[in-house]
Amino acid sequence: MQYRFSFPLSLSILAVLCGCALASSTLAAEPARAEAKEQHEAAVPLKPAELVHIGKFAITNSMLVTWVVAAGIIVFAQLAMRKIKLVPSGAQNFWEWMVESLYNFLESIIGRELVQKTFWFFATIFIFILFVNWFGLIPGVGTIGWGHHDPTTGVFHVDQPLLRGGNADLNMTSAMALIFFLLWIIWAIQANGVGGFLLHIFGPKGETSGLLKIMMIVIFFMVGWLEIVSILFRPISLSFRLFGNVYAGESILEAMSTMVPALSWLIPIPFYFMEVLVGIVQALVFMLLTAVFTLLIAQHEPGHEPQH
Amino acid sequence: MSGSIHVGLAAMGAGIGVGLTGLGAASAVGRNPGAATPILVQAILAIAFTEAIVFYALYLLPH
Repeated sequence: MQYRFSFPLSLSILAVLCGCALASSTLAAEPARAEAKEQHEAAVPLKPAELVHIGKFAITNSMLVTWVVAAGIIVFAQLAMRKIKLVPSGAQNFWEWMVESLYNFLESIIGRELVQKTFWFFATIFIFILFVNWFGLIPGVGTIGWGHHDPTTGVFHVDQPLLRGGNADLNMTSAMALIFFLLWIIWAIQANGVGGFLLHIFGPKGETSGLLKIMMIVIFFMVGWLEIVSILFRPISLSFRLFGNVYAGESILEAMSTMVPALSWLIPIPFYFMEVLVGIVQALVFMLLTAVFTLLIAQHEPGHEPQH
Repeated sequence: MSGSIHVGLAAMGAGIGVGLTGLGAASAVGRNPGAATPILVQAILAIAFTEAIVFYALYLLPH
């Protein structure tokens, strides 16, 4: 009951995410043209194909997928919650089950106070990544589009697919990771204050006294700089982990379906099951990592946690 | 054939490290299934730090 309010918030973050994918994809759009010819032979191109140009912005096929999935989630959720019943059934039951189990799972990890504050972000990121990953597995995504006939083999090659898995685009995953990084800083400063935040990173930990304490202050000040490097690498590793897994999955499916032409209907099937699994595991990993990073900076006294 | 051997070595080490973390987490949950959630948090953190080594190798060294 207490988290019904999170729905409009969640939907608004979806819109923000899609807008960021739009803004960041133009940054990577320029070198894409030069390398397009070189990557012609590669199974799945590393960069998304541009479909339409609106001014300086390019609409790419992976952006189209994120919009379609976001609109699908919004419409499905609104339809399911149109007539809210006390005893849920059907679509309302599905959403209540999903939101409630996510809430309980996150509460067991990051604690009661933090989950009330941050649940909207983690639930949205999980549901969105999960459905974008699974949407990319629907047959037709990546295989329907504009292409040409290879004159030597007579096989049709798709150069510009209409749709591409949303998380197989580094712009999308880095947009989500950067939004989390910004929110992480906001939540960290809200929980500790600016001084407490700096003390959390550079301050000495543990009980020491005398000369040892002075040495510990120097050592933990140095460790703080290592901590800063590790914090700055978090958005990079978050975005590359998701992108790498989804892109590698698409490449495997492509390779398996072209390896033996006569058996192209059979060989990819086990890999499809694996990709369904990878889709949910990567959504879970992204949500869990962001949640644990938030817990690490926002918990006040290590060892005195009320939860667990 | 061309490439960067340091990235391959880092990926090999990170793979072994992630595997060892998974081994430790799985056997810990097997011994004490009630502690599955704290173990999951520790394992996820350890895996994240192990994996980051590959990204250091990818971006911190000149190609």
